[in-house]
Amino acid sequence: MDFSSTVASQLNAGVILPEGLVIITLMVVLVGDIILGRNASRQLSYVAIAGLLGSVVALYFQWDNSQTIGFLGGFNGDNLSIVFRGTIVLSTAFTILMSIRYIQQSGTALAEFVSILLTATLGAMFLCGANDLVMIFLSLETLSISSYLLTGYTKRDPRSNEAALKYLLIGAASSAIFLYGVSLLYGLSGGEIRLDAIAAQLTDLSSGQSLGVAIALVFAIAGIAFKISAVPFHQWTPDVYEGSPTPVVAFLSVGSKAAGFALAIRLLVTVFGQVTPEWQFIFTALAVLSMILGNVVALAQTSMKRMLAYSSIAQAGFVMIGLVAGSDDGYASMVFYLFIYLFMNLGAFTCVILFSLRTGTDQIAEYSGLYQKDPLLTLALSICLLSLGGIPPLAGFFGKIYLFWVGWQAGLYGLVLLGLVTSVVSIYYYIRVVKMMVVKEPHEMSDTVKNYPPIRWNLPGMRPLQVGLVLSLVATTLAGILSNPLFNLANSSISNSSVFQTASTPVILSESIINRQSLSE
Amino acid sequence: MNLAEGVQIVSFGILAVMMLGAALGVVLLNQIVYSAFLLGGVFMSISGLYILLNADFVAAAQILIYVGAVNVLILFAIMLVNKKEEFKPVRNRWIRQGATALVCVGLLALLSTMVLATPWAVDTTTVNASSTIIQIGKHFFSDFLLPFELASVLLLMAMVGAIILARRDFIPERKATTTEVETALTLPERPRELSGS
Repeated sequence: MDFSSTVASQLNAGVILPEGLVIITLMVVLVGDIILGRNASRQLSYVAIAGLLGSVVALYFQWDNSQTIGFLGGFNGDNLSIVFRGTIVLSTAFTILMSIRYIQQSGTALAEFVSILLTATLGAMFLCGANDLVMIFLSLETLSISSYLLTGYTKRDPRSNEAALKYLLIGAASSAIFLYGVSLLYGLSGGEIRLDAIAAQLTDLSSGQSLGVAIALVFAIAGIAFKISAVPFHQWTPDVYEGSPTPVVAFLSVGSKAAGFALAIRLLVTVFGQVTPEWQFIFTALAVLSMILGNVVALAQTSMKRMLAYSSIAQAGFVMIGLVAGSDDGYASMVFYLFIYLFMNLGAFTCVILFSLRTGTDQIAEYSGLYQKDPLLTLALSICLLSLGGIPPLAGFFGKIYLFWVGWQAGLYGLVLLGLVTSVVSIYYYIRVVKMMVVKEPHEMSDTVKNYPPIRWNLPGMRPLQVGLVLSLVATTLAGILSNPLFNLANSSISNSSVFQTASTPVILSESIINRQSLSE
Repeated sequence: MNLAEGVQIVSFGILAVMMLGAALGVVLLNQIVYSAFLLGGVFMSISGLYILLNADFVAAAQILIYVGAVNVLILFAIMLVNKKEEFKPVRNRWIRQGATALVCVGLLALLSTMVLATPWAVDTTTVNASSTIIQIGKHFFSDFLLPFELASVLLLMAMVGAIILARRDFIPERKATTTEVETALTLPERPRELSGS
């Protein structure tokens, strides 16, 4: 049998069907824009949403697939990656809904925006399932480079330029550090790139390897912490969030962060299983710093986008409690919280976009008295912010309680108590906005709200915004009360994934037959 | 030690000295054009190291891409920006430089300790070096197929993004509508200093 058919029979290329659908959508949008011209760009973004939903359907049919390893070990489409990929695809679909009107009003090209966003999604999805070092780095770069482009998309705005440049420089530095750590792993394992093979080689840490592994661990965590914007690596977050187009911020705070957490779980559990106490210690420190700094600095913000930036840093701190807990329940609680966070955070950003499109500002003080003029927007923003704060009947409460319960079970009493205290702090600054909108008397209304334009949903591109708003509102409200299916989904995604069973005793899979011998002939 | 090994060691020494010297020059020289040319020197010496490691294709690609494309692009960028600006010397500059030097030396010490302390698993099998291109091709179409294909998407999007950032845009005129905020390639949110009024 010749080379090509030998390889083709072993690829198991079906595992990347969801990604393939995203790539096809991307090409359709890009080519369709060239053929049909700018007038069709709104229809093309609906095509993109349809493609993303198709990708979700494809992900659904891959659930509990027995053959999860594809591309000779390069990609692992297990249930854990499916949940994270689903979260990312949904966040992109929501982001496109909210970006149609925004991008068109800013005068920039919509179809290119959508296609860059789809590329970022593609990178994030591959990152969730990446199973070897080359794949991890390449998908990380695909995500990062698309994010830099999106950040600088409104190119005549100096704030956007500044944000893009800062993000590019800090991002390049952090990828360089990450790459150094990864190359150390390659050297320490004697030239392996597959994660399970590396873990099999790194079992004996007594013979002088421990220093190298420690340095590799620290450098890899630096790269991951940049992506999830945990505190010592968070400096880019506020400026980038303030200067980017708001839909991009929404994607960065949910999709990009989910991909970072997926990478963290896979890399740390598989490769660094031997040094679990060490990375749990580092992540405890990151979680403590993120929760304290994120919540305390958010108190002082006057701009809504900056406040949500710091709040997303703090939320990452809460999610890290699940990572530190290190049990199956811990990872399940991360999945569960990220899924809920998707709806409530994107809902909040939809409201911020709607307000800034109608009034041209995102200052918190300008929201005062909004209740009199726009009840739907007020209701949606209030529900989403209260859910982010963790007020009981809403979804965020159940996510947080699960995280804290898991942390308490794992004996992380200090971390959980700190989480509770900082949650109370966070409720203060979320409620401040709600109070500003709801409680103010009509004569205390801000000038912006006094001049609030009449609500017209029939303008082009407003309908998708309304759909996104209502969907996220419904999801945030109901996901709390009807959280049992989500809960089961998160739990089964963890319990059925091979990552966690093989973490202690790595098995080399027998399918990837193409060994070095046959290649080096 | 036979002659081949001696030649290898000597040429490794020469390349290493060249690379370190050029790299120091890139960082320490004040004239940015000199730095750019020395960067080309660094890339050339790295490709020499690749040849020593029997990686002929990678060495050629290194010269073609890094020296031929990246470095030339950097030089073009430097020559197109014709801006003379006198920078005022920062006060207490030595503190910053000292701190940077301290961090760098510390990092170097840590990494060299690690390199020396680790028992590296060195692969002693000799590879038949006549056909590295064929081997690279086989890897690209078997276990590196997915990264190879993903790189094509990445490059396509980098190209589209570069065109978007560089092209001359039609700037829409601000329409005086009362209902919604229209902007010309800027964010709809007003800058902070304007929004107070």
